[in-house]
Amino acid sequence: MRRALTLALLILASVPLLYAVSLLPPVGSEDNPTYTYVVPHYLEEGPEETGCENIVTAVILNYRGFDTGGEVTVIFTALMAVFGVLLIPRPAEKVRQPESAVPVSPVTLFIVRTLAPFIVVFSVYQIINGHSTPGGGFQGGTIIGALLIAASLVMGSERTQRLLPEGVRRWLQPAAVLMFAVVGVTGMLLFGEYLSYPIEGEYLFLRVPFLTLVEIGIGVGGAAIVASIFWAMEGSDG
Amino acid sequence: MSRAFDLVLYGLLIACALAVIRTKDLLAASIIFSTYSLILCLVWQLRGSPDVALTEAAVGAGVTTVLFLVAVARTSRRER
Repeated sequence: MRRALTLALLILASVPLLYAVSLLPPVGSEDNPTYTYVVPHYLEEGPEETGCENIVTAVILNYRGFDTGGEVTVIFTALMAVFGVLLIPRPAEKVRQPESAVPVSPVTLFIVRTLAPFIVVFSVYQIINGHSTPGGGFQGGTIIGALLIAASLVMGSERTQRLLPEGVRRWLQPAAVLMFAVVGVTGMLLFGEYLSYPIEGEYLFLRVPFLTLVEIGIGVGGAAIVASIFWAMEGSDG
Repeated sequence: MSRAFDLVLYGLLIACALAVIRTKDLLAASIIFSTYSLILCLVWQLRGSPDVALTEAAVGAGVTTVLFLVAVARTSRRER
């Protein structure tokens, strides 16, 4: 009975949805709304106006810079929420995760150790060249964070955390938010509006350094946040 | 040729998605979900969006899988 009712509800709900799909403009047609408003402007003027050959970065950091600033704030707030839930102090029973019964495989250890420098170079390249090649702060930062997690898995969290002592970590976690604020306020002082980049004039040379600074902030903050969430979940403090 | 490859990828995506729902072993489900992300990453790359593909590979296949695994390790492995 319940099954039949569910099926009937599903069919009933799918009718208007499928009807709506049939009203959508054809895929790839040139006069779709997605291709007719701001997109042609981005594609034609983007590299010239923003100094980014990678249009994705031009949109993320320049045209929609406010959105990205909001996003990094959301990510930082998410980290705070994870800490708030997981790092409640339990004075009496200090629960230490028991060491894994299975020792770390030498193959895994060797592969992580050998690949680590290449992974770091790859992500740093991505972060620094985010304005001209695919990738950027978010991707590069996540890759470094994933590398920290891999290192924690093979060498233990405590040895990995020594790379980022707690005092340093607490400042790296909000790096993206702080960097947005610094670049935004600098743009406001120089050009009049929050987070504005130079389009022409004597400060034009500052455009790419500004973008790179924001990318570095996002990358460092992202890496610290990804690794901290892992450490908090694992129980070895964020 | 590329159309056929697309169809194979979409088929694998749907198969993975169904497998994640059907699997009762949460460890296995996390690994299958990571496979799903890797295939989706290939799809993004073939659709011409390398930025999204990179994010999918790093976040979807890498970090979230580890977080799922930690969560499974700290709770229970079987779905109830």
